[in-house]
Amino acid sequence: MQLKTLTRAISVAALLGATALTTSAAAQEPKTITGGFDVGPGGFQGNFNPLAATGGFTWLNVYFEPLVNYNADLTAIESALANEYAVNADKTEYTFKLANETWHDGKPFTSKDVKFTVDLAKNGETGTVFAARLNAVSSVELPDERTAVIKLSRPDAGLLATLTKLMILPEHALSGMTPKELATGTWWATKPIGTGPFKFKQYVSDQYVELVADDDYRLGRPKADRVINRYFKNTAAAVAALRAGEIQFTYVESDDVAAFKDNKGFKVIEGQSFVANYLGFNQQVPLWKDVRVRQAVMHAIDRQAIIDSLYGGAATEANCGYVAKQLVPEGLNPYKYDPAKAKALLTEAGWDKINGSKPITWLTYYNTPQAANVMAAVQAMLAQVGINVVPRVVDTPTYNGIIYAGNPDFSQFPLVYAGLQNGPDPSGLNIGLNAAQKPPAGANFLRIDMQDLTKAFDAALAETNPQQLNARYQDVCKAMNAKLPWATMWVANRYGVASAKLKDFIWVPAPAGGPYNAHPEKWSIEK
Amino acid sequence: MLPYILRRLATGLLMLVALSILVFVLLRLAPGDPIDAYVNPNVAMSQAEMAALRARLGFDQPLPVQYLAWLRAAATGDLGFSIQRNGVRVLPLVLERIGPTVLLMAAGLAIAIVLGIAAGILSAVRRNSPTDIGFSVVAFFGISSPAFLTAILGLYLFSVVLRWAPSGGMLTPGAPFSIGDLLAHLILPACLLSIGHAALIMRYMRASLLEVLNQDYVRTARAKGVKEFWVIMKHALRNALLPVVTLIGSTIGIAVGGAIFIESVFNWPGMGLLLINAVDTRDYPVIMGATLIIGACVIVVNLLTDMAYAAVDPRIQVA
Repeated sequence: MQLKTLTRAISVAALLGATALTTSAAAQEPKTITGGFDVGPGGFQGNFNPLAATGGFTWLNVYFEPLVNYNADLTAIESALANEYAVNADKTEYTFKLANETWHDGKPFTSKDVKFTVDLAKNGETGTVFAARLNAVSSVELPDERTAVIKLSRPDAGLLATLTKLMILPEHALSGMTPKELATGTWWATKPIGTGPFKFKQYVSDQYVELVADDDYRLGRPKADRVINRYFKNTAAAVAALRAGEIQFTYVESDDVAAFKDNKGFKVIEGQSFVANYLGFNQQVPLWKDVRVRQAVMHAIDRQAIIDSLYGGAATEANCGYVAKQLVPEGLNPYKYDPAKAKALLTEAGWDKINGSKPITWLTYYNTPQAANVMAAVQAMLAQVGINVVPRVVDTPTYNGIIYAGNPDFSQFPLVYAGLQNGPDPSGLNIGLNAAQKPPAGANFLRIDMQDLTKAFDAALAETNPQQLNARYQDVCKAMNAKLPWATMWVANRYGVASAKLKDFIWVPAPAGGPYNAHPEKWSIEK
Repeated sequence: MLPYILRRLATGLLMLVALSILVFVLLRLAPGDPIDAYVNPNVAMSQAEMAALRARLGFDQPLPVQYLAWLRAAATGDLGFSIQRNGVRVLPLVLERIGPTVLLMAAGLAIAIVLGIAAGILSAVRRNSPTDIGFSVVAFFGISSPAFLTAILGLYLFSVVLRWAPSGGMLTPGAPFSIGDLLAHLILPACLLSIGHAALIMRYMRASLLEVLNQDYVRTARAKGVKEFWVIMKHALRNALLPVVTLIGSTIGIAVGGAIFIESVFNWPGMGLLLINAVDTRDYPVIMGATLIIGACVIVVNLLTDMAYAAVDPRIQVA
């Protein structure tokens, strides 16, 4: 009898436990949009200082604003904090007419803030990543409170693209701090003041950031009361929260798309990643000097088969570093899959003497299951023509540590599998391919030194006529296609998934998370 | 006693310095540094920009200079700033993470103890019954399932499919603090953390109780007409619990490892998540600070344990 009592007691305890489990989280207040805005390659979790940001712009743009910004199609630069801008004939003076706006603390936004921000961004002591990009800026002049003139010492075709990433900062709140204090200051994560549609409320370390609507926003009071950016250790955790209904948006890996595609509760957002994946040939090793070897690599890989089978068709073949139509000229060599031709080219080049079947380390920081499958397929295809590559997968800091070492060991990365941003600003490739960008000057860590390509980049960067700019980048594409500094593979699509409850929600899979005019003030959510 | 405590504290201090040197050297032997973690390879930065960042953070200095600068500051209680979190000081960051980890571990262990002991008793008193076999099978899976697997499966089943519990975090974002909200977030990770320990405790409890139930004094109690419930609760259980208590003590260390997985899967803001994020991003000051604080805690707890032994059992000499 007593034993039964014990059994009953345990059963009751178990029941109580189960009841506790069913206690759901406290209901959120109305009109709160919660998302994993920093999940995936466009995010930059825990980063709050826009001067030092190399990603996460989707989120930063919810409470900070640049002078100008890309449109949501990433096809043109349009106004943001500047209503309009004009460029002089020499392309050395950019005059910005500023919008009437107040900072989140109620103080007026003026041209002094623009000068203050540009000066900070040029000062290396602030931890800025803009110093080199703003090299051409000689001064900022302020004819009046609503006008700022950025003067350049030489034309810079990339200035506007740089300015889209430069969030304007409040002079009145930050001028009391030294640049060094700004670099390590707590202001960014505790009481930042912007001009965007939402105001910073709180950051709970490694958990979330909460913003609240700015009632005085110049484009109208935001429709949502709060926007919350929840942090997740990985994409899988964010997808679980999305499926559990706890968040309304996150970036997802392509493997997860199928789970949402036919579900009416969600909307899949698809777009180009603007990152060209390539096999990078290290020019400091003797393996790849002969262009016929590089051509053989292109012919040996059945890119379309990999796109069809491993990317589910969600990628576009790249025959140079670009895939955007306006940047790709007619008549490129398509490097069709032709293993026989690859073998013939290798024989012509004397591959047996250059390397033969000796293993070649193939370094990458791509560590997703999909990337592993892609690399296995490429490895098998290259093996068929007699090139023996051995993948080595490391984490990003290790990869960067190897390729950017002061005195690098080139034998550690004779071949890499990597990606580089190729849009919306096509000048992004310059830093990795121009001979003038070899370290320590730039990020051309493969030491590519191809005169035609360098000339094409230099011409494109100096081109200040917007009508001619695409033609100049087409020349870059042609040079890449002919000289093959990389075996360009494809540009994959990226995906976000939003709850069907979200209305007027704009997100595009922009590299580094944008920035672009996402108009968060229009986002709303159905109860 | 006082000279002993002072001697132990001095030894502990030397051990902490040795620990910090070890961690410092190991970190610097790993390829890549905080700046390398900072750079998105898809959006290249120039080496000049990276060098400027490196110089600002002092990573361009020789290693002994870097270490001595860290040690000098640490001696005054300043463990520096997190590199990945703008302006966040390491010491308060680490200290604020101790509470959530202790809470998760304590809840997980408490659940494991209650479930493990109860299931062990039922299994033992109903030896070879379907109940016993059922519990044994469950315990087998519990012991053999790695923490990360149970965590992910549990998350999927209870949060995504059944929606019984939140999928992560410690509190609902933006909601005012409430105990109910905290418990709702705690219950699933704590239960999942408890599975392995509960299974282990259950097996030990079952074996230990079966052994005790065959002892003469139990038989005597039954012969005297004591009801079965009281035979178990009063006579057998106390003695059977002794090896289980020893086991519980030794599983606390294992629980820390499990808690790191659970914290990572559930985004529970404890020491485990902090350390994993810091290692991922090569946030050296946070890794150094967290290791130092954990080391200090272990040394102090060991000292307190030894002193407690001495206080409880006069036969133990601490001098």
